Amino acid sequence: MAEPAIHTSGLSKRYADVDALSDLDLDVHQGEVVGYLGPNGSGKTTTLRLLLGLIRPTSGSAEIFGLDCQSRPVEAHRRLAYVAGEANLWPSLTGSETLHLLGRVQGQVDAAYRGELIARFDLDPSKKVRTYSKGNRQKLILIAALMARPDLLLLDEPTSGLDPLMEQAFRHSVHEAKERGQTVFLSSHILSEVEALCDRVGILRNGRLVDMGTLSDMRHLSALTVEATFDGSVPDLSQVPGVSSVEVEGRVVRCQVQGTVEPLLKVLASSGVHELLSREPSLEELFLAHYGRSTDPGTGSLEVPALGG
Amino acid sequence: MVGESAIVTPAPSGRWPRTVVVRETARRGVRSAVLWGVVFGVYVTESATGYEGAYKTAGQRHALAQTLGSDVGISAIIGPASHLDTVAGFVAWRTLGVLTVVGAVWGLLAATRLLRGEEDAGRWELLLAGRTTRRGGAAQALTGLAGCALVLWAITAVIAVAVGRSSSVHIDGRSALFLAVADVSGAAIFLAVGALTSQLAPTRRQAASYAGAVLGVAYALRMVADSGAGLAWLRWASPLGWVEELHPLTTPRPVALVPIVGLIAILTVLTVQLAGARDLGASTIPDRSRPPTRTMLLSGPTGLTVRLVRPVVIGWVVAIALGGLMLGLIAKAAGRALTGSTSMRKLVSDFGAHGAGATTYLGVAFLMAALLLALIAAGQVGAARGEESEGKLDHLLVRPVSRTSWLAGRLSVATGALVIAGAVTGVTGWLGAASQDSGIGLTNMVAAGLNLVPPAVLILGVGTLAFGIRPRAASGACYAVLAWSFLVELIGGIVNASHWLLDTSVFHQMAAAPAVAPDWTTNAVLVALGVAAAAIGGIVFRFRDLAGA
Repeated sequence: MAEPAIHTSGLSKRYADVDALSDLDLDVHQGEVVGYLGPNGSGKTTTLRLLLGLIRPTSGSAEIFGLDCQSRPVEAHRRLAYVAGEANLWPSLTGSETLHLLGRVQGQVDAAYRGELIARFDLDPSKKVRTYSKGNRQKLILIAALMARPDLLLLDEPTSGLDPLMEQAFRHSVHEAKERGQTVFLSSHILSEVEALCDRVGILRNGRLVDMGTLSDMRHLSALTVEATFDGSVPDLSQVPGVSSVEVEGRVVRCQVQGTVEPLLKVLASSGVHELLSREPSLEELFLAHYGRSTDPGTGSLEVPALGG
Repeated sequence: MVGESAIVTPAPSGRWPRTVVVRETARRGVRSAVLWGVVFGVYVTESATGYEGAYKTAGQRHALAQTLGSDVGISAIIGPASHLDTVAGFVAWRTLGVLTVVGAVWGLLAATRLLRGEEDAGRWELLLAGRTTRRGGAAQALTGLAGCALVLWAITAVIAVAVGRSSSVHIDGRSALFLAVADVSGAAIFLAVGALTSQLAPTRRQAASYAGAVLGVAYALRMVADSGAGLAWLRWASPLGWVEELHPLTTPRPVALVPIVGLIAILTVLTVQLAGARDLGASTIPDRSRPPTRTMLLSGPTGLTVRLVRPVVIGWVVAIALGGLMLGLIAKAAGRALTGSTSMRKLVSDFGAHGAGATTYLGVAFLMAALLLALIAAGQVGAARGEESEGKLDHLLVRPVSRTSWLAGRLSVATGALVIAGAVTGVTGWLGAASQDSGIGLTNMVAAGLNLVPPAVLILGVGTLAFGIRPRAASGACYAVLAWSFLVELIGGIVNASHWLLDTSVFHQMAAAPAVAPDWTTNAVLVALGVAAAAIGGIVFRFRDLAGA
C-alpha cells in the first residue's frame, strides 16, 4: 500500500509549561477525508503547524507522504496546500494579484478550475484585499489552496466567516477533491460539517487525541439514548446494569445505555411502558461526551454522563 | 465549564471609561514624545555649548555672523540667520531651523500612526464599540495628541531653562520657555495636519504622504521667501514662515502665535467633523479599490518583497536625495564658517579630516545621512518581522518556499535599497555642491555616498541576528544600536570621550568621506560582520518556531 498522506509518531509540542500537543500518533491514508475536532486551544492548529514545519516539535516526528516535515518541508509542501483559519493577506494586493502570486509560488495551478472556484465562491477578484470582508479573504485563501489540486489539503477551520451558501460551496469542493482521490485533513469545530464530509474523525482534548475512528465505530462504542414514557408509575432504572444518567420528567424517563440493552428491556417490559424511543448519539453528543466527563482523558473509559437536552 | 456565565462582573474599565481613547492615544504616543523631547533638549544644549566652545572671542563671533548671516543658501535652507554674534541668536536660529522641520516630520508620522494606523489595525473598532462616538473618539484622540505635544514641549522647556541658567549662556527662564514653544510649534502644527489627513486618506501610508506633501509645500514657500528674492511676504503664506516670525530669544513676537494656534484650531475642528461624517475604516477621499492588475513582480517571494517595500523605499530615497541636495547647497558657506571655529576643527580632526571647506563640512554632515541609511536598514528588519508576526509569511512558507530563500531575498532587496540610497545621496550632494562651485568631484561624492552603506549593512545584519534569536525584539535591537551609536557620536562631539566608548558606535569606524578618502578595508570588515551576523540569524531562523505578535 502507498505511504500514508500523514503519519505522526509521538508528536509533542510543549510551550513553557503548557502541553499544546502530547504524544500524537496519527495516520491519514491517501484518499481519506479526516475530521479533526476539538474546542479552541485543544491543539488543532498546533498539529497543523507542526505538519507544515512552521514550528518544531518538542519530541516525536511527522511525515507527509513519507517526507519528514522538519527536514524536507519544501518537498512536502509541493504536494499539499494549506488553508489557515485567519486570512492575513497583503492588503495592497488585489484578489487576482494574490491568486497569481500564490499560484506561482505553489508551482501548479489548474487555471480552468480556478475560474470555476471564483464563480462558485462568488468572489470579485479585482478588488484590493484591504477592502475585503473577513469572509471574502477566507474565500481567497480557500480558492488559492483548492486551485492547486494538491494531493493533500490541510484545512484549519476553513469556513470561519463564511455564510451558509458558501459553506455549501465549500462542501461541494471537498466532495470534488475526494472524488479526485485527494486527501483532506479538516480541522474544525463545526460538527455538522465534519459529520457531512468525513470518513474518519479524531477528537482532541487538551492536546491529546482521545478518540479516533469512523463515525459508526464511535457510535457503536458509545451509549444509546433511550426515552421511555410510562402509563403508570415510573420504575427506578438507576440500578439496571449498563444504564446511567437517568432523568425523570413526569412520566417520561431518559437514560443512557452502554453495551447490551437486554436488562433494560426486561425492566421496561414489566413496568407498563407506553412509548419507547431510542437513537444513536449524534456527533455533537459524542463530542460533548468527551468534554463533559471528568475522568482522565487518557484512560479510555467511555462512560457517558448526562448531556442535558 | 459549569456556571461560568452565571456571574456577571463589571469589566474593570478604569476610573474614566469615557476617556479611554484619550488615554490609549497618549499612552501609545508618549514614549516617542519623551524620546524626541530629550533629542530636542540635547540639540538646544549642544547648540549653546557648541557655540560657546567654538566661537570664544567677539572677533570669531563677528566673523561667523558675517559669513553665515549673509549667505542666501543658508538662509533659504535653515532660515534667516540674524544675531549670530550672540549665543541667543545662534541657538534660536539653529534650533528653530532644524527642530521645526524635524518636529513637523515627527508630528505628521505620530498623528497618522496614532489615528489612521490604529484604525487600520482595527483597534479603533474595539474602542468605539465602547462608550463613545466616532466624533467623540476623534476629539479624544486629538486630546491625546495634544498631551503628546505638551510632553514634547515640557521636556524641551525644562532642558532649555536649565541650559539658560548656566553662567556662560545667560538666557532667562521666560525666554527659554518661549524658545521651547517656538521649537515645538512645527511639531504641533503637523500633529494637527496629520490628524486631518488621517480622516482624508484610506491608509496610514497615504495619510502620511498627504501630510508630507503639505510639509513640502510649506517648506518650499518658506524657502522662496527666505531666499532674498524680494518675496519675503511669502513667509506669511507658509506655517513654517509663521514659526520663523516668532523670533525667540532675539526679538520675540508672540503675536505670530495667533495664526499658528488659529490653524491648529481649524484643523482640529475639521478633523472632528470629518471623523463624524465618514464610516469607521473608510476615507473621505475614496480609495481606488479596483486598481489594474499588475503581476509583473508577483512571481515569487523576492518579487513580492520588492513590490511591498517599494513605496517606503522610494519615500526614503526621495527624502535622502533632498537632504543630500541641501547639504550640498550649503556646503560651501558652512565650510567657510568652520574656518572660524576652534572646536569644529577639533571635531573634524576627530573624524580624521583636516582643514576646512565644503568637503570637510560634507564629511561631518554625512554622518546624518549615515543615520538615515541605518534607519532604512532598521525599517527593513521591522518589515520582515512584520510579515512573520502578522501571519502573512505563513502563506509563503506553507508553499514550496524555504525560509532561507525568503530571508535571503528580503536581505538582498534591503541591501539593494541601501546601495541606491547611498549612491543617490552622493549624486544629489554633488549636484548641490557643484551648483555652488564647491569644486568637489562627482566620483568623490558617489564614493562618499556608498561609504554610508557599510554601517547600515551592519545594522541590517545585527537586526537579522536578533530576528533569528529573539524575533519579538528584532526592531527594538536595531533601534537600540542606532540610538546608542548616535548618542555616542553626539557625546563624542561635545566632550573628549574615550576611544573605547566611541568604538561602540557603528558609525565611528566610518571614514568621514568626502573629507577623507573612504577606508574600503574597514568598510569590508563592517560588511563582513554584517553578513556574518545575518548568516547566523538566518540559520537560527531556519530552526526556530515561527512566532506571532
